Amino acid sequence: MTRMEKFEMLEGAKSMGAGAATIASAGAAVGIGNVFSSLIHSVARNPSLAKQLFGYAILGFALTEAIALFALMMAFLILFVF
Amino acid sequence: MSEIFVLGFCFCFYVSVNTWHAYRIIQINERLQKPMTFKITWKDGLVITPWERPIGPTHGPSDPSSPSGSPVKDALDLAQDVPHSPLDQFAIKSFLDMRVGYLYISFTNPAFFMLLTLGLVFLLFHLVTKKGGGKSVPNAWQSLVELIYDFVPNLVNEQIGGLSGNVKQKFFPCISVTFTFSLFCNLQGMIPYSFTVTSHFLITLGLSFSIFIGITLVGFQRNGLHFLSFSLPAGVPLPLAPFLVLLELIPHSFRALSSGIRLFANMMAGHSSVKILSGSAWTMLCMNDLFYFIGDLGLLSLVLALTGLELGVAILQAYVFTILICIYLNDAINLH
Repeated sequence: MTRMEKFEMLEGAKSMGAGAATIASAGAAVGIGNVFSSLIHSVARNPSLAKQLFGYAILGFALTEAIALFALMMAFLILFVF
Repeated sequence: MSEIFVLGFCFCFYVSVNTWHAYRIIQINERLQKPMTFKITWKDGLVITPWERPIGPTHGPSDPSSPSGSPVKDALDLAQDVPHSPLDQFAIKSFLDMRVGYLYISFTNPAFFMLLTLGLVFLLFHLVTKKGGGKSVPNAWQSLVELIYDFVPNLVNEQIGGLSGNVKQKFFPCISVTFTFSLFCNLQGMIPYSFTVTSHFLITLGLSFSIFIGITLVGFQRNGLHFLSFSLPAGVPLPLAPFLVLLELIPHSFRALSSGIRLFANMMAGHSSVKILSGSAWTMLCMNDLFYFIGDLGLLSLVLALTGLELGVAILQAYVFTILICIYLNDAINLH
């Protein structure tokens, strides 16, 4: 195998790795959906707490979204750094 | 008191960023002295070495006499001032080279933008509070500063329990400075062609790690050696204790990393995706075709929406960083 072919295989493997890293978005999608569905449930039960609950929900959203960004960061690292 | 905190932060960041920079420079120098023999010749005669290879579709030195290829290639030739990698925007360049032996104390662009951010904050706060305080009916600027200032004591009072108000106020300057610094760094990074200081892992890790050390010290100061009981919940059977101590210790130590990684990953991923999308929109605009031009409007509006999202994320991440500091501080003070 020539070095050129090795290089091309490396590029292909990087694309596959980056693609595989984005599977993690599925989990983050479930998490974010869960946060906001809980918010809607809670506000429907007790509308007077809406403002306080929205703050908590935003915090939960940010914490969940960070996990998705870890995966995105891995994809970027695989694609552009190595 | 808060000025001392700001100066301390500023100095720590300056030194840590420059040490990292020195490390990189030494690495590059070592590479230059021993040039790697491993080279690859690309299809159109472009010689690339493994650490500098074209990223994305190659459009290297194509001679102008050859007939033009695909429209994508033409557009890429036209849009050549777009950097080839979306990570180019995070490059650290030195403005003033200063070195003492192996210690690099160059004035780099992160240092410059940190000073710019601090200058902005100081100017804003100074202009509002000059002549011994603001007016009783605030104008817009004073309202902004009061909003930022009022935001943190509320957080501190809500999140940290079991202490009197006076004791809580001791923690307020440090948390307030951290919030203001990360907020203004994040927001200032959204200005086009500027540099996002918080998109470097070293800087956010320096912030979160130093705060973690401080919180641990506060915990030992408040509780003495009883602070070590954070790693063992009460009422655990003794045979389980060694495993539980290990299991509690790992997440506790990971807090130091995780809040730094969270801020850094949010900033870096957001800026990279804006860059990738806008580079794509710019290349599409250069394709010189009516259909692509119309389609480009969708992409441009997507870039606009993403920029708005990034503004929200910038504020939100500063808030999350601050509230997590408060929660960790509460955990250290009030043991379970």
